[in-house]
Amino acid sequence: MEDLGIFNHFYTLIIVSAGAALLGTVSGALGSYAVLRRQSLLGDAISHAALPGIAIAFLLTGSKTPLILVLGAAIAGWLGTLLIMSIVRLTRIKYDSVLAIVLSTFFGFGLVLHTLIQRTGNANQAGLDTFLFGQAATMLESDVLTIGILGGIALIVMLIFWKELKLLVFDEGFAASIGFPIRTLDILLTSLLVVAIVLGLQAVGAVLMSAMLVAPAVAARQWTDRLRLMVFLAACFGALAGVSGTIISSTASRIPTGPTIVLCATAVVGFSIVFAPNRGLVWDRIRHQRNRRNLKMETSRN
Amino acid sequence: MSYGTSNEWFPYYEQAFSAGTFSYRTGNELPDYEQAFSDNGVLGMQASEQKAIQVTDLTVAYQDKPVLWDIDLDVPPGVLLAIVGPNGAGKTTLVKAILGLVRPAAGNVLIYDKPYEAQRRIVGYVPQRGSVDWDFPTSVLDVVTMGCYGALGWIRRPGRRERELAMQALEKVGMEAYTTRQISQLSGGQQQRVFLARALVQDATVYLMDEPFQGVDATTERAIVTLLQELRADGKTVVVVHHDLQTVTDYFDWVMLLNIRRIASGPVDEAFTSDNLRETYGGRLGFMKTDKSDV
Repeated sequence: MEDLGIFNHFYTLIIVSAGAALLGTVSGALGSYAVLRRQSLLGDAISHAALPGIAIAFLLTGSKTPLILVLGAAIAGWLGTLLIMSIVRLTRIKYDSVLAIVLSTFFGFGLVLHTLIQRTGNANQAGLDTFLFGQAATMLESDVLTIGILGGIALIVMLIFWKELKLLVFDEGFAASIGFPIRTLDILLTSLLVVAIVLGLQAVGAVLMSAMLVAPAVAARQWTDRLRLMVFLAACFGALAGVSGTIISSTASRIPTGPTIVLCATAVVGFSIVFAPNRGLVWDRIRHQRNRRNLKMETSRN
Repeated sequence: MSYGTSNEWFPYYEQAFSAGTFSYRTGNELPDYEQAFSDNGVLGMQASEQKAIQVTDLTVAYQDKPVLWDIDLDVPPGVLLAIVGPNGAGKTTLVKAILGLVRPAAGNVLIYDKPYEAQRRIVGYVPQRGSVDWDFPTSVLDVVTMGCYGALGWIRRPGRRERELAMQALEKVGMEAYTTRQISQLSGGQQQRVFLARALVQDATVYLMDEPFQGVDATTERAIVTLLQELRADGKTVVVVHHDLQTVTDYFDWVMLLNIRRIASGPVDEAFTSDNLRETYGGRLGFMKTDKSDV
């Protein structure tokens, strides 16, 4: 009997780790583009904006099937992003203000809806609040499958349009001048980010999901000067943070997974900022000192 | 489009031009355009002469404020034209409007008698150096290869042929030793040369360059000028946003003086007069006085 319990625990851990690893891979890779485009905060806005979508999807269908909730989250997150883009384009309000407004409005609306759902005492509702801070332990095989399939599609689309997305991020004006529709590419890239974000809501939660986009990419940028390698490393770092965070949070009881994963990702970032060659602080320091010594030697020789 | 071999890898513009037989939806509209212009007498005698770039009645406004007002500009093929004017005169906006990157409130632009959308493949663009993030994780060769992306179209990746073209362009700008260098490790002049190499890879007939001399040292400036003059010698048309009035007569054969409105344009010895310069740079008062600009 006891053996079976351990086996169950182990099995859950494997499922949950696999889900977190997939999630980290997808969000790490796609997050690289957000970071390079200086749109790190857009991820935050999308994940917060997705919250009311989950509640509305639940209210409309009464089901907690992951695919339906993810779809609701995706639609809401996407609408929020389109709203941000059009407000920036049509008004004189600055980008960061628009982000803040849309983020808090959608998030507030989502919280109200979630509270309303909890009041109704619907027995089915338990678990919706995991979307706030994430609870990877609630992941089932079907959730992992959803993450795997949708995330895989997002990554494949990213690889297919690799050249176009790179050009969009590096030099939008040039891309437009040679005939690539940058608004369409922009929407494509944002949609991929939306996919990565909504897939992570259950495990990491709306509040901290954007860290899963930003942290692995920032860490990866420290180690390489090539986009290909950066995206690959970011995917690896994301997976690493996902797995380690999940394992830590599931061994100790009642630690939400989201914050744990984010702390693991932050550890990777911290290590990279300090120790990465060329861009790392330690390296910087060494180079600085070496230069000073060389200069001193040269000047004293004369 | 054939790139030719080794030294002669610029095809003459006739080749490039005829390669794009643009059986495009705009094909039928063109006679109407021409008709309309000659009826108004805008083109007059010159209607039959082909223009590399033809800007007509172009007005661009950013939120009610006009940044370009009723611009007419004819650029004949094979000239090296400087666009000069004070800060905020709309030089960059004019280049972007020609490229279709900003939408004009009125007016239109033709490249060799066709709208820009039909002529992308014969137009090369060098954006302002400061318009991109040079800390982007990529190499010199990769940036220059981007000049092929238009010809490659969707999804197709650059291959060996594209990399060879990029290498040739890098040799032309004297940057072949830097191919694998990360772009943030380049000096301002080197970055500028990388952008020029990318435009060379585009293998265009008409070039639009936004301040290619910005922040480069004297040696690089010399090298860029030589390059521009080689392009002109090959029959290309090169339009350059330029800041340094001292060098206009040395470097360019045509000039456009711009301050929201076109003050003057034409061969340097005709248009680059002290009267026109005073009108361009002499503050708003000069600008308010009308009709003097119709040189």
